[in-house]
Amino acid sequence: MATALVSATGADPADDLRRGDTLALRWRTGFDKSMGYLLPLLFLVALIPIIDLVWYISSQAIPTLSWQVLTSYGNYQSQDALGVPIVTTFLFVTLATTIAVCIGLFGGIATAEFLSDQTAAWVRTSANLLAGMPSVIVGYFGYFLFCLYFGWGLSFVAGVFTLSFFMCPYVFRTADLAFTSVPRHIREAAYGSGTKPVQYILKVGTPIAFPQILTGVFLAMAIGVGETAPIILTVSPSVLVPTGLLSPATYLTYLIYTGWENAATSHLALVIAYQAAFIIIVTVLALNVVVRVVAAWYRKRLAGLYQ
Amino acid sequence: MDSNPVAGNPGDREPIPPDIVDPLPKAPPPSSGAPAGTGRAGFVLYKIVPLAPALVPAAIVIAVAIVLVHVAGLSIWFTGWQLHVTLPMNFGTSFWGSAFNANDGQYGMAVFIVGSFLTAVPALFLSMIIGLGIAIASTTYLPDFMARILDPFVDLLAGIPSVVYGIWAFLVIAPYLGGTVFPWSVGHLAFIPGFAAHTTHPVSPTTEGTGLPLAIIVLTLMALPITTLLIRDALRSIPRDLWESGLALGATRWEVVRRVSIRQGSRGILSAAFLGFGRAIGETVAVAMVISASDRFPVNVYDSTYTMAAFMYLSLDGAYGDPSFLAALAELALVLLLITLAVNLIGRRLVSHIYAQEVAGL
Repeated sequence: MATALVSATGADPADDLRRGDTLALRWRTGFDKSMGYLLPLLFLVALIPIIDLVWYISSQAIPTLSWQVLTSYGNYQSQDALGVPIVTTFLFVTLATTIAVCIGLFGGIATAEFLSDQTAAWVRTSANLLAGMPSVIVGYFGYFLFCLYFGWGLSFVAGVFTLSFFMCPYVFRTADLAFTSVPRHIREAAYGSGTKPVQYILKVGTPIAFPQILTGVFLAMAIGVGETAPIILTVSPSVLVPTGLLSPATYLTYLIYTGWENAATSHLALVIAYQAAFIIIVTVLALNVVVRVVAAWYRKRLAGLYQ
Repeated sequence: MDSNPVAGNPGDREPIPPDIVDPLPKAPPPSSGAPAGTGRAGFVLYKIVPLAPALVPAAIVIAVAIVLVHVAGLSIWFTGWQLHVTLPMNFGTSFWGSAFNANDGQYGMAVFIVGSFLTAVPALFLSMIIGLGIAIASTTYLPDFMARILDPFVDLLAGIPSVVYGIWAFLVIAPYLGGTVFPWSVGHLAFIPGFAAHTTHPVSPTTEGTGLPLAIIVLTLMALPITTLLIRDALRSIPRDLWESGLALGATRWEVVRRVSIRQGSRGILSAAFLGFGRAIGETVAVAMVISASDRFPVNVYDSTYTMAAFMYLSLDGAYGDPSFLAALAELALVLLLITLAVNLIGRRLVSHIYAQEVAGL
């Protein structure tokens, strides 16, 4: 308090000093308070776009959407029919999720339970790298490997595998994290009472880790539904539901992309793009909400285990 | 609770159980814990078999690199790794050349690399500043219940697919930019270098509104959830002792954040920058939709250009059956792969644990 002081209240500076009420202090607290009002405003930068995006897409899509549009299996290039893309997307995501869960679940459990710390660190790093890989590179990989080397062409199955490669690190990491975060006393009690590792995984670990694994699977599905580049690069478009593994196929995000391509010329393509975007947003948001609910439930459960 | 760095912190809403942080004992070795799995069979069962699924992600990463190198082999073979050397081969003028013309066999890649950085770096800068502000507000200033309500909205930004961002930006932001913002900025900011209009070929800004600024806006939005989330985690993991001793010394909340929290959490904040950059530079479809692809260096801030990812995405169709073009594209993919791998590796190494697993795309 040895700095030169200007009276903040206009009275004797010595009184201010005694009360610690100096201009410098007022400035500091005032700055702190104004930051308290200004910084939360930055939330608007995130809130306005997401609200505007959801509102815009919904307002464009909802008036044209009907049950008939969702369930008619016509040619989406000539009429407003989304049955084929929805069914095909469902097929894609289901199959890709199955493969991704097979890779990710077993891999994550093995990493958490059996691998030495050093190996596990390497494996985790590589899973993180795979998760951080740009979608276009995964798409290129799928194109070169499945479409060219394996000779599958631009086909449904190439898209499924590429998509599953894109999704598997998310399942992997949540499975790993879920099994790593099983409370230690439960772990040690299980092993202390003579449980074998496989029994431990099936009977003790899985029930505790299940909600978190489910979270990872849902997140991977949300990512898969919204992914564009891997699908467009490895699957040739079609207006029909794929009949075999090597047949061409379509995807909801592909409709949005073609809607953008033909925005100037085709009104129908744009309408379908809005509808597809609306369906994808609803799906992704629903999956995210489910994830949050499950995660909250999981935290409560875990907190219970600690008591 | 001894040396756990994440024990308590100022905005601690979801305390992380200490056992998650501590390294856990692995499954006991077969000889000690599991009587059934002793000997050679146990070794195979518990050591070798689990390796197979666990190594799949690593195998995929390595396979991606091998496949890309193999396809790019033609290009690498002819131009070597010192790709900037001009060669007499028909294959290309130079790696750093700006000409990219598949018909002439010219595969200069400078435009795409420069374009990627021109979009990703400003976007990262913006999203770091905004993310820092949001994270400080949510951990320090906002009451708990408001932060609980508002935080998920930022996280939801990560859940919106990139193609939806693309079409929304193209149809909503682009007309506004082209019709309102660009004319104003040409009129009022022309004294700043790069902000003046370019009237000859290429005409820039166009009334369409697509181009660099729109790509930067979209990338900012897409990197924002990651940076915000990681910075929030970093600020939350500051020990409560530090926070309270700062306040007890008479510092204001802002001063504690500014001088204690940000310094203590600097690693987490830096990792947010790296991971956000990895996200921004790898973003494909949204950028391809809003950058109004043209393979030239931008003449001013409104101009269109190309990014590596967008170019790779848009030109794979045209490269079908042209091995040299494919090789050039694969080489570009390798460059992008190396950049993203390096950035992600550094970003993940900076923070040993990333708790924020429950957000898509991180």
